[in-house]
Amino acid sequence: MNKNNKQLQQQEHRPPILGSWKKLYLLVLGNLAFLVVVFYFLTKYYE
Amino acid sequence: MRPSDWIVLLGTLGFIVIYGIWKTRGSKDIEGYLKGDNSMKWWTIGLSVMATQASAITFLSTPGQAYEDGMRFVQFYFGLPIAMVIISITVIPVFYRLNVYTAYEYLENRFDLKTRSLAAFLFLVQRGLAAGITIYAPAIILSTILGWRLNLTSIVIGLVVIIYTVSGGTKAVSVTQRQQMAVMIGGMLIAGYMVVHYLPEGISMGDAVAVAGKMGRMNIVDFSFNWNDRYNFWSGITGGLFLALSYFGTDQSQVARYLTGRSVTESRLGLLFNGLLKIPMQFMILFIGVMVFVFYQFNQPPAFFNSAARDSVFATSYAGEMQQLEAQHEAVFNQKQEAVQELVTALRSADDATIATAQAEVVRLQQASKEISSEVKGLVAKAIPGAETKDTDYVFISFVTNYLPAGLVGLLLAVILSAAMSSTASELNALASTTVIDIYKRSVKPDASDSHYLSASRWYTVAWGVIAILFATFATRQDNLIQAVNIIGSLFYGTILGIFLVAFYFKYIKGHAVFMAALLAEAVVLYCHYFTDIAFLWFNVIGCGCVILFGLVLQTVLNQRQPVR
Repeated sequence: MNKNNKQLQQQEHRPPILGSWKKLYLLVLGNLAFLVVVFYFLTKYYE
Repeated sequence: MRPSDWIVLLGTLGFIVIYGIWKTRGSKDIEGYLKGDNSMKWWTIGLSVMATQASAITFLSTPGQAYEDGMRFVQFYFGLPIAMVIISITVIPVFYRLNVYTAYEYLENRFDLKTRSLAAFLFLVQRGLAAGITIYAPAIILSTILGWRLNLTSIVIGLVVIIYTVSGGTKAVSVTQRQQMAVMIGGMLIAGYMVVHYLPEGISMGDAVAVAGKMGRMNIVDFSFNWNDRYNFWSGITGGLFLALSYFGTDQSQVARYLTGRSVTESRLGLLFNGLLKIPMQFMILFIGVMVFVFYQFNQPPAFFNSAARDSVFATSYAGEMQQLEAQHEAVFNQKQEAVQELVTALRSADDATIATAQAEVVRLQQASKEISSEVKGLVAKAIPGAETKDTDYVFISFVTNYLPAGLVGLLLAVILSAAMSSTASELNALASTTVIDIYKRSVKPDASDSHYLSASRWYTVAWGVIAILFATFATRQDNLIQAVNIIGSLFYGTILGIFLVAFYFKYIKGHAVFMAALLAEAVVLYCHYFTDIAFLWFNVIGCGCVILFGLVLQTVLNQRQPVR
């Protein structure tokens, strides 16, 4: 693999959705929070 | 197994293996063999990461765990999405910048050779053991239920994996994992549909979930804190985070998956894909287990799910006692079935007092049924000394083989074997790459040609495959296979993670201090495992914390002895 390819690999491009990595990370963490809340209400509802 | 099951099973697995070999034929250099020429797109990485973690144990044990204990096991995965974000931010760019083949190469760059070798050694020990269990777990259950020969089943699973992993290297692992994930998810969705479809007429899915809730199976989240409780929110979000950080950030079987990416972007997206979908996937598998539990409230479950062990008891002098217990179990089931019907009616009436009365009766009968099952287990232990009496791993496969129609049994067996093969393939590939890159090339034969290392990688893949098969052949039963793998992982992961966290975030600590700190931390973890009741998830936190703490203290002491010039 040549040097240019290596450099290209190491570069941090913008993610294909949401425009920035920060927003994508928040999506993953927000999804976790959402799931925990949904699970909590499911637990309480079916208790 | 009917002919159509064999056709589906062999057709599915045969296609995946042949496609994998054909698609990745002719790996000619070490870069292609161990890193797939950095050609993978993010969805392949994401599926590969998920398939590596989802072993056969996931599909055999997890529904049984939900049957026995409810949904709370899902909390174990709460730390995973956070770990995916942390690794994406901190670990992936460093690994790409240093152009490493294995995670442990980075440790020599940061510390020294002995720390790199120690981390590689700890990985080889724990992953080598886990690879054996990965093959052994489905082999023992499939051989018991289907009458296949245990050793032959282990050998066939191991050999098939060895063939395509040796042939195509890491690329073959990733390519086959795409198809394997499709089979796994598709098969489980069909199984989920079938179990709901088999509920009695007039019982909707809503009724089923409500009954499961009243019988304590919808216990998804528990915020109460208890050190000795294996699964609650706090152990999941902290212990699970540390375990996931260690597994995905430092375990070569996962690191190798995302190092095949075309770029930092592709690797990150692959991990974040896993962060988004892993919990829903586990939820789905557990939920299927809960539905199987409800199914058995309306259909007579066996008093002991391991049918082979049950049959063995009938061949002993304990047959009469067994028959008596089974009759009692059936009588309680008949009463319980009526009580559950009344509970459904009460739930529809929405009258709290009626619901509470019906629930109390169902819970009482469930307890009575459980006590009979315990007596059955005691009898199995007496009748067959040394027999495994925990039967939760047999719950799902027992449902599949007894109730699913021809063809679908073959598909569900393909799910289980695909899962076994996908995780074993990643493990063998990672064990071989760590052995060659971190031990053989670094410390044994540093100046050989590229083709020599390629050949060595193939031979070490074969060697680790044979070791895994031998381990699977001689392993003894653990109470729950998925927990056995996690416990083995937790014994070593904390220490390995501690070394990596020190490497990334504690520049003050140098190689000598971290090496000694890791040895001491491992001793503390082993002490906790053998001499305390601390739940195993906490070993990850303890091991990691000890490496950092001891590292700081030792570095300070070393600095005082040898002042920096």
